[in-house]
Amino acid sequence: MDWDVVLESFPLIWKGAGKTVGLFAWSLAVGTVLALAVALMKISSAKPLIWFATFFSWLFRGIPLLILLFYAFFALPEVGWLLSPFWAAVLGLSLWTAAYQAEVIRSGIIAVDHGQTEASDALAMTRGHSMRRIIIPQSIRIMVPPFTSNATTLLKQTSLATLVTVPEMTLLTQRIFSNNFKFIEPIFVLAMIYLAMTTVLIIGQQIAERTFRLRT
Amino acid sequence: MNSEALVTVSGLHKSFGDVDVLRGIDFEVNRGEVVAIIGPSGSGKTTMLRCVNLLERPSGGRIEVDGRILCEEQPDGSMRFSDKAEIRAIREHVGMVFQRFNLFPHFTAVENIIEAPMAVRGVSRADAHARALELLESVGLAHKADSYPLQLSGGQQQRVAIARALAMDPALMLFDEVTSSVDPELAGEILLVMKRLAQDGMTMLVVTHEMGFAAEVADRVLFLDHGLIVEEGAATEVLGDPKRQRTRSFLRAVLERAPMVEDGMDDDGQ
Repeated sequence: MDWDVVLESFPLIWKGAGKTVGLFAWSLAVGTVLALAVALMKISSAKPLIWFATFFSWLFRGIPLLILLFYAFFALPEVGWLLSPFWAAVLGLSLWTAAYQAEVIRSGIIAVDHGQTEASDALAMTRGHSMRRIIIPQSIRIMVPPFTSNATTLLKQTSLATLVTVPEMTLLTQRIFSNNFKFIEPIFVLAMIYLAMTTVLIIGQQIAERTFRLRT
Repeated sequence: MNSEALVTVSGLHKSFGDVDVLRGIDFEVNRGEVVAIIGPSGSGKTTMLRCVNLLERPSGGRIEVDGRILCEEQPDGSMRFSDKAEIRAIREHVGMVFQRFNLFPHFTAVENIIEAPMAVRGVSRADAHARALELLESVGLAHKADSYPLQLSGGQQQRVAIARALAMDPALMLFDEVTSSVDPELAGEILLVMKRLAQDGMTMLVVTHEMGFAAEVADRVLFLDHGLIVEEGAATEVLGDPKRQRTRSFLRAVLERAPMVEDGMDDDGQ
């Protein structure tokens, strides 16, 4: 491996880091909000909401992410909805991650001891208050590890946005290939940057686990 | 009907699928009265208690608490339940203490106590906090105000749970086998708190296996078996001189740890 090429490649690839982080952050934020809504629908007692939520997670877990991205980028304009490459990718990634995170959130909520709901009921709290103050805070502790795993996957899958022309890190790396036919060094740099980013997420998981642990 | 009745239950039925857990229960609890509910495991006593604040939805019958109707069987046999807001309004005045404490583990003792008064009653944090400290003092746990539930013993957790229920100024307290998940030597501290509460005039409905407590504190005892009240009366009568064979067999099983006679037919004839 030629270290000079590594050093040359780094700034070229790093230029795409903002887009990678942007795709990740937007998709995680939008996806998590969607996931919470879907999870609450799935545990509600309203049949239509349960059906919708079940349909949602069936659909978006069942279709390859790449095809969702193609839909957002190539198919939506055909029906008159033109998105920039970046927002098309955010749309696809959000729906895809929401379907997975919804299951994480739902399993976290139902894992909280039913006695907590009964105590809230007996104290005349509304269901909304009990969810917000009693159930969800306790479920976060349970959700943190699988939620972080999904978030790590999401970060790496932003590389697929290359195929809908978002100039993120992987796309910029491919440009180096075609400019100077160097492969090993740019791929190494790219892999190390992804690894550094996912390391931050894993550290975040450890901090979150410590924050939400029960005091004994 | 007794105008002093705080709780009036009539014709209460509850089935889970094909299993009839309660098969027609009638009783009243008067203001200031302590009623103990005893009976063998599976007799329906916990289910009956949980119907009083509608944690369990009855399949038949009528329940009235403090002049408000929680549920009422219609002439066509269907059940009509009060709406959510009305049920909450009733629960505001009915405290409940659970067998497994059900404290909120992410809150300190004092946070457990102030949550409902602030959220439900709109009490200010300062007022709720002051009241919580008084209540913790009264259950002997003022020094544990900032401890988390998992840092407390079972007996201490249960006393916090009692304080939490009392913070809503309930007219009625429901106790569901509250000493059953603590070590025997810690049951006494819970029972002492309950005894003081009874002396202060609290209306209490107590599902219990503590026959000593029932004898000493309860005004009345209901003996349940297979979803029916088999015997009821003054605590001294039911516990001291039970009329029914089934009650005698149960008391002997509890007090002498003798096996219970399962097919003991009731000597109704006398």
